[in-house]
Amino acid sequence: MNKPQALVLSGDGINCASETAHGLELAGFKAVVSHTSDLLTNPAALTGASLLALPGGFSFGDEIASGKVLAVKIRHKMLDLLHQYIDKGGLVLGICNGFQTLVQLGLLPNSNQTDGDNSTVSLRHNAGGKFINRWVEMSVTQNTPFLTSLQTISLPIRHGEGKIEIKPDAKADEIAFVQNQTALTYHQDVNGSFERIAALTNAKGNVFGLMPHPEAFVRHSQHPAYQAYKHAAADRKAENTIVCFENKFADGLVILKNARFSLN
Amino acid sequence: MAIKIAVLVSGRGSNLEAILESIEKNELAAQVVAVLSNNPDSYALKIARKHNLPVVAVDHRGISRKEHEKLVLQALKPFAPEYLVLAGYMRILSGEFLSHYKDSNGYFKVINIHPSLLPAFPGKSAYEDAFSYGVKISGITIHLVDEQVDHGPILAQAIFERQPGDTLETFQARGLAVEHKLFPQVLSKIAAGGLASLIDETKTESSTNKNSAKEDSAKEDSENPADADDTDLVEESLCVAVVPKNLAARNNGTPVEMPLYWLNTKGATAAAEDEKLLAALKEVLADSLLENVLCVSAQDRQQWVTQWQDLGFKWFAERQYLPGVTDNLARTVEEALHLSGLATKVKVASGSAYLFNDEMNIKEVDSFCRYRHYHPVTDKFRIHDLKMPFPPKLLEFPAVHLPSTPEPELIALDLPDSELENLSRKRTLALNLVEMQTIRKHFEQKDVIALRAEENLSQWPTDVELEVIAQTWSEHCKHKIFNAVIHDKMAHVKESTMTMSMAGTISGKPVQSNERTITSLYKSYVQAATKQLAAKRSDLLSVFVDNAGVIKWNDDWGICFKVETHNSPSALEPYGGALTGILGVNRDILGTGLGAKPICNTDVFCFAYPASDLPNRPTMLPATSIIQGVRKGVQDGGNKSGIPTVNGAVYFNNGYRAKPLVFCGTGGILPLSVAGQCGYEKHTTDGDSIVMVGGRVGKDGIHGATFSSEALNIDSPMSAVQIGDPFTQKRVTDFILEARDAGLISGITDNGAGGLSSSVGEMAQITGGATLEVNSIPLKYPGLADYEIVISESQERMTLSSTKIDQLKELAAKHSVVLTVIGTFNKSGFFRITREGKTVGLLDLKFLHDGAPRLELEAHWQPPVTIDKIEQPPKDLGEALLRLLNHPNICSREPVIRQYDHEVQGGSVVKPLMGREQTAPCDAAVIQPILGDASGLVVSNGLCPQLSDFDAHLMAICAVDEAVRNAVCVGADPSSLALLDNFCWPDPVASPSNTDGKRKLGQLVQACEGLYEAVLAYNAPLISGKDSMKNDFDDGAIRISIPPTLLISAIGKVPDIEQVVTMEFKATGDHIFLVSAGALGLAATTYAQSMKWTSSILPELNLEAAAAAYQIIYAAMQKNLVQSCHDLSEGGLAVAVSECIIGSGFGADLNAEAIVRAAESGARYHDLLRERLDFALFGEGPARMLISVSPKNLSAWQALWQDSEISVIEIGKVTGFGVFKLQSEKQNELINLGVINLKQAWQAKLPFDEDFHE
Repeated sequence: MNKPQALVLSGDGINCASETAHGLELAGFKAVVSHTSDLLTNPAALTGASLLALPGGFSFGDEIASGKVLAVKIRHKMLDLLHQYIDKGGLVLGICNGFQTLVQLGLLPNSNQTDGDNSTVSLRHNAGGKFINRWVEMSVTQNTPFLTSLQTISLPIRHGEGKIEIKPDAKADEIAFVQNQTALTYHQDVNGSFERIAALTNAKGNVFGLMPHPEAFVRHSQHPAYQAYKHAAADRKAENTIVCFENKFADGLVILKNARFSLN
Repeated sequence: MAIKIAVLVSGRGSNLEAILESIEKNELAAQVVAVLSNNPDSYALKIARKHNLPVVAVDHRGISRKEHEKLVLQALKPFAPEYLVLAGYMRILSGEFLSHYKDSNGYFKVINIHPSLLPAFPGKSAYEDAFSYGVKISGITIHLVDEQVDHGPILAQAIFERQPGDTLETFQARGLAVEHKLFPQVLSKIAAGGLASLIDETKTESSTNKNSAKEDSAKEDSENPADADDTDLVEESLCVAVVPKNLAARNNGTPVEMPLYWLNTKGATAAAEDEKLLAALKEVLADSLLENVLCVSAQDRQQWVTQWQDLGFKWFAERQYLPGVTDNLARTVEEALHLSGLATKVKVASGSAYLFNDEMNIKEVDSFCRYRHYHPVTDKFRIHDLKMPFPPKLLEFPAVHLPSTPEPELIALDLPDSELENLSRKRTLALNLVEMQTIRKHFEQKDVIALRAEENLSQWPTDVELEVIAQTWSEHCKHKIFNAVIHDKMAHVKESTMTMSMAGTISGKPVQSNERTITSLYKSYVQAATKQLAAKRSDLLSVFVDNAGVIKWNDDWGICFKVETHNSPSALEPYGGALTGILGVNRDILGTGLGAKPICNTDVFCFAYPASDLPNRPTMLPATSIIQGVRKGVQDGGNKSGIPTVNGAVYFNNGYRAKPLVFCGTGGILPLSVAGQCGYEKHTTDGDSIVMVGGRVGKDGIHGATFSSEALNIDSPMSAVQIGDPFTQKRVTDFILEARDAGLISGITDNGAGGLSSSVGEMAQITGGATLEVNSIPLKYPGLADYEIVISESQERMTLSSTKIDQLKELAAKHSVVLTVIGTFNKSGFFRITREGKTVGLLDLKFLHDGAPRLELEAHWQPPVTIDKIEQPPKDLGEALLRLLNHPNICSREPVIRQYDHEVQGGSVVKPLMGREQTAPCDAAVIQPILGDASGLVVSNGLCPQLSDFDAHLMAICAVDEAVRNAVCVGADPSSLALLDNFCWPDPVASPSNTDGKRKLGQLVQACEGLYEAVLAYNAPLISGKDSMKNDFDDGAIRISIPPTLLISAIGKVPDIEQVVTMEFKATGDHIFLVSAGALGLAATTYAQSMKWTSSILPELNLEAAAAAYQIIYAAMQKNLVQSCHDLSEGGLAVAVSECIIGSGFGADLNAEAIVRAAESGARYHDLLRERLDFALFGEGPARMLISVSPKNLSAWQALWQDSEISVIEIGKVTGFGVFKLQSEKQNELINLGVINLKQAWQAKLPFDEDFHE
C-alpha cells in the first residue's frame, strides 16, 4: 500500500521539522520535509499531500509575535491554495509555533476566514511572562480526527506565547464558538490561557492546532516519569493502578496515528 | 559689562574657586552676587566667606523639594542674579523653579557643568561611570539646564584623555583640571555675547555635522558599491508605536510597555498617510485583536505626547539601541514588510516606549528600567515628563555615521623598546615587548625586505598586518600560557603529619621545595594524557585539531563536543555576552569537520551570591542583573536555535562578583563520510574559493584602538558589545547542513574570536596560503578600515572553502542567507590581503603561525595556612539539613531549567528533572542522537573550585571524578567517556599589579597534574579544551580574582536507552547503599560554610578504587540491578537522600550507625571527624554514590562487590511515605522531616528572573 504523504514545513527558524517528520513516519506517513521557500515557489506540491504539518520552533526568531512573520510569508504567497486544500478535507496540523501561525493566518478556530482581522482569538505571552518547558496533562474536549479514542493525554509544552486571549468585546456567540472549537484543555492553569485552552480545531476537524508537542512523545522513554512507572510496574505487578508504559501508549504517537487512520 | 551670577554649590566648590580666580585675574567679566548651598557645612561656603561674598545656606533636609525650591528662590531674589551657575549642586531642579529664570528665547538661564561628554554618562557618578566603562577619551560638558537630569542645550565641551595606568583618582584629576579652565571660559563668552551666541553656535555646529556626515556617506557609496543599498536612503523618518487598544484602562499603576519603531524610507514616497505602508505596518506589527498602530512623521510625534498626557500618564520613556548594535527585531520587521508586498524599501530601528503614571518620580522610573528594560552599554534611554508645558526632545533614528574610510596605515617598528611597548598598548595589540621585538626582527630580515619591495610594500607592516599578527598571537588564539616554559617551585605536602585539634590550632604542613622546568603544560599534561590513552581508544577520530573533538559513535556517525567561555562580555552586558557565547560554541560545532549538526547544549554558570556583600564598584553590574541577563541570553541562544539545553550547573562564590563565568557547551553529530570524503576532516585544496556565509561585517567586537577616537561621537557604533542573532544563525545552520550533504563544501570553520583574520588565516594552513579581498566583504555600514574588516568579530558568520559556487549561491538564496566569495585558498605560502587587487597585507604563514616567541614564566605554589575552627554538632540535625537544602549552591534549579527547552529535536531520555512530579534533579542528561536508534549520549559535568585554594591538584581530580561519576550515575559505560577541559584562571603571570601571579601559576601546574592523573585513571581521554586566563577585575581601588576554576565536561554512551537509571527512589522496601571510594572532607564544604566553621580537612580519593567501582556499577546497571543512583555532592549524604525523596515521593529510613560506619570506611578518614554523625551526613567528598536496590536483586548486587575492597554499606531502606527518618540503633529519632518540608526548603527562590523580589 502506498503511504499517504505528510508535508512538513522547515526553514526560517522552524526547529522541530526533523522530529515531526520522524513521528509522522512512525505513524505510517511518508514524511517530506520541505523548506517554506521551496513550497512557496512550488505551492502545487501541497496537492499531493494528505497532511500539512507546521512544526514548532521559533520561525523568524519569534520577533514581533510568534508565528506572525511566517503567517505573512504564507498569506501573500499561497493562502488561497491553502484554503482550497482545507476545503477539500486535507489535514493541517499546527504544533506550537505552527499553531500560532495558523491562528495568525486566521485558519483557527474558523478556517473559513480570509482575513486575520476577523479573528476572535490571539496567542499571547504566558501569564507570568516566562517560557515554560514541562509536561502537562490535558483533557480532550472535542472529538477531532486527531484525537479519536483519547480522553486524557500527557505531553510537554515548550512555549513562551501560549496564552489564548479572546477578543475583548467578544459577543456570547463568538465565545460559544471558541468554546466549541476547543479540542484540548489543560488540567492545571499553566499559562493563563482562556478557559485553559491548549488546542483548537476548525469546525470540520481537519485543521488542528495545539500548543503541546505530540512529536515529543512518540517513544515511551520520552516521558519524565517513565523510569518511575517502569520500576513500579515491575515491582507491583499485582496492583492494577500502574500505567502500562509502552510506545503504543505514547500519546503523541497516538495523535499522529489517528491522523493516519482518519485517511482510511 | 559684568554679568551677575549666583553660584549654587553642594560640595567642596573647586569650580567656584576657579571662577573667582578668573574674575580676580580680570579674565572673566562677572560678579558673583551670591553663593548658595543646600548644605550649610559645605566647604564652598567657607571659600565664599573668605572672598567676602554674600553666603546663603538653605538646608534641604526635612522639607519637601517644592518647599526647598521656594526658599531658594526667595533667598536669591534680593541679589537679582542674571544667571544661576551650578557648580556641583546636587539637587534636581523642577520645571517650576527653572521657569523663574527663563529668557526671551525660552531657555533657562541656569548653567551646569557635568564631568562627561553628554549625553554619555549622565548622573551623579559620571567620572566613575566613564572610568569604569573604560573610555579612552572623556570630557566636560557645560550646558543649560532643562527639566531633565544632565540634559539641555550644550554650550561647550572639552575633552581629556585617559592615560595608561590611570586610576580613578588620576583620571578624575585630569577632568577637574579641564573643568576649572572651561567653566570660566564659557561664562566669559556669555558675558561677552549672551547665551544666544553659544546656543546658535551649537546648533549650527550640529547641523554642519549632519551635512558633512551625509556627504561622507555619499562619498562612501561611490567607493563602496557593495553597500549602496544601505546608504542611499533619504532621511525621511517615520515613527510607529504599537499601542494597546485598551490603553486608557491601563493607567493603573503598572507601567505600560509598547513596541516603538523608527522607519527610514527610501525617497519621499512613503509618508505617514501612505495607505500601502500603513496597511503593511498594521499587518506586520500589530495584533489586530488587541493593538493599534500609530504612525506619524518624526516631527508629528508631539501628538502622542499630548494623547498620553490626556490619559493621565506622567512619564514617557523611550528606549532604542545605540547606533550599530545588532537589532534582530528590526531586521525581521524589514523582511516582513518586504514579504507583505511593500515595494518601498524601509530601514527600521526598533525600541520600546514605556508609560508611567505619577506614582514614581523620574529617578524611580530610571532605576526601575535600568537593566530591566535598558542597558546603558547597548541602549539609549530617555525619560520625558508629559506634564511639562514644552515639547520633549524625542529620540531620532539611530543611524551610524562614520567618518570616511581610513587608508591602511604604515607602522614603523624601528623604535626604542619603550615605544614599542607603548605602541602595543596604544593599539590594544596585547603583545609584550619580546613579541614586538620578534615582529620588528622579522620585518628587518633581508629577504623579507626584498620581497616586500618587489610587492611594492614598504619595509614596515601596515596596520592590517600588525593587527592580524596580534590577533593570531593573542592569548585567546595561541594559548601562550599553556605553551609557556614554566619554572616551577614545587611544594610537597605531607598530610600524615597534619595536626588538628577541636580547639583550633594551626595545621602545620611541612613543605619540601623542589624546582623543575615544564615545557608546555598543554603538551606535558593535557595532550600527553590523551596520547597515552589513544592506544586503548580507537574511537578518537579527531582530537585537539579541529573546532571540537570528534569521537566515533557508530559506523556512520561521529559525535563532537566543545565547551567555551564568554566571561568578560557577560560581565559587561550579560544578556548579549551569554547569547553570543552560546551561539559562538554552536558555530564551533557547525565548523567541525565538514560541518556538524548541534544536538545539545550544556551551560555552567558561576556567579557571586545574589546577596553578595562585596562592595559595588561603578563598573560592576548588580549581582542579580548579571544572573538574570546571563540566564536570559542562554535561553534565547538555545531555544531559538532549536538546540536542547540538556545539562548544566549554577555555582555561587563571591570570587565571581566582577567576572561571572559563563561556560557554554555544545554537542554535535556529523556523518563520517560526506560525498565519498571523510566527514571529520577538511579537504580544502589549492584554488578553492573562500566563501563567507551569514551576517555582514561591522565594528562589532573589534578590540582595536580606534574606539577611543570615536568615543567623542555619539553616533559611533558600539564595538565592545555584540548581540547574537539566533534566527540568522539557525538559517545559516540549515544552509550549511544542506550544502554539506550536497557535497558543496570542502572545508569550513567559524568566525569567532579574530574574525576572518583567524578563520582564513587558519584554513590557509591547509593549502599553504590564501588571498583575501576586503572590498568584496559585505559591510553593515561604510567607513570601516581594512584592518577592522579583517579582525571584526561580527556574529553568525562561517568561512567555507568550495569550488561549487553557483550551487552554493542558489542554496543560500533559498535559505535567505548572505553569501559572498571573498578570496582564494592557494599554496603561495602567504596570507595576502588585498583591496581591489592591491596588496595591503602580506604575511608569511610560517611566521604568522609559528613565529611567536614562547613565554617564560615562574610558578610557586605555597599551601595556605588554615585555622581549624570546628564546634559541637548542631542540636537539631533536621534543621541543619533544611538550611543546607535552602542554600543557593544546593537548592532546586527548576526556575532556570523550565525556561530552557530541553526536549527539542526529540531525543530526550533523561531530562534535568524527572519523576512523577518532574522534581527529581538528575545527575546527567541522556539524549538519543539518532532518532529511533537504541544508543544514548550522556552529557555531564564536574566543577569543584571551592577546593582550588586548598589544593588545586585535588580540585582537578575531583572535577574529573564528578563529571565521570555523574555520567556513570545515569548509566554511561565508563569505558566510553571522553572529556573536555575548560580552565578559567585568575591571571597567572606575575606583575606589579598581580603580585601573587606565581602562586596562581603554581595552582595551574598542580591542576594540570591532577587532571593528567585522573584522566589516565579513569581511561577518559580529553578530546578538546579551552582556557581563559585573565579573569580578574582591577579598577585601581580593588582587585577581585576568580577562584581558579576547572570545568570538566563529559560525554559517554549508554548502549541502550532502556537501561538508563534515574536518581529518584523507585519502590518501597528497596535497600539503600552508600558506595564510596574516598574519604570525606570538611574544608570548603557547604556545611562548614553554613555553620561558619573553617577547616583544612580535605577529602581524599582513591582513583583506582573509584574507577573499579564505576565499572561494577555499570555492570550492575546492565544487569538491571540498580533501581536508582545518585551522586553525593554539595551537602553530602543527607542532601542526596532528600533529593531522592523529593524526586520520588517515597521516604527513607536511615540508620545513623551505618552512616557513620560508611563514612569511616573511607580511604583515610581524619581522626577529627570520627564519630561525628553530622560530618557523616553533611561532609563532602568524591567517589560517593547513593544506590537503591530491589530486595529481589540483593544477592546478585552483593555478589558483584564480593571481590572488591570498595566500601558498599547499606544505610537504610526506602519507605512508602515521604518522610526522611534518621534513627540510631537505640531508636532515638534524630531526623524526621516530611517531603513537603524538604521540598519547601529546597525550592528556594533565587533571582533568576526579573520578577524576583527578595
